[in-house]
Amino acid sequence: MARIAGVNIPTQKRVVIALQYIHGIGPKLAGEICGKVGIPAERRVHQLTDDEVLRIREVIDSDYRVEGDLRREVAMNIKRLMDMACYRGLRHRKGLPVRGQRTHTNARTRKGPAKPIAGKKK
Amino acid sequence: MTRSVWKGPFVDGYLLKKADKARSSGRNEIIKIWSRRSTILPQFVGLTFGVYNGQKFLPVLVTENMIGHKFGEFSPTRTFYGHAADKKAKRK
Repeated sequence: MARIAGVNIPTQKRVVIALQYIHGIGPKLAGEICGKVGIPAERRVHQLTDDEVLRIREVIDSDYRVEGDLRREVAMNIKRLMDMACYRGLRHRKGLPVRGQRTHTNARTRKGPAKPIAGKKK
Repeated sequence: MTRSVWKGPFVDGYLLKKADKARSSGRNEIIKIWSRRSTILPQFVGLTFGVYNGQKFLPVLVTENMIGHKFGEFSPTRTFYGHAADKKAKRK
């Protein structure tokens, strides 16, 4: 069991991979953290000593913004745009693509599942 | 691609003069501008601009967190009335 940055408990996997289960840590940051703590790539999470786990925790706490903090920051950035009533904010409010993509077709990620249009049969 | 820093923010020159004039004279008058492409600078904060959207001058009160955005972002150019099908769905 290794709890790092809150709720994340990935075992059995290599440390570089397991760290990526934390929101805000991808391949790049995971590699960076392992380098800083000095963990070889082949080491698995259950093979970590308590000291190493502690050091990983310290590095993440001091140098990176992850999980709740990161989510809050992103939400605040979006809220700032919406409060300003600028174009990007309006797009966020309407749940449409923000970066100028087409909405004539596609854009389903932002718009959600397609709603059928009444009276379009035959 | 972001704009090079060494160029500095882009502003149409006459805006600075207009802003200065509005500052020195009485406040609260809307400065009409067509230059939607200009960056909002710190010295514009607190002034009200009428930003042209191709039809009307929409009043925009510049606040601090608008700095760095462009005037055009605050004056939408398109009107969207929604689709007929949507209205029906809402009535039901």
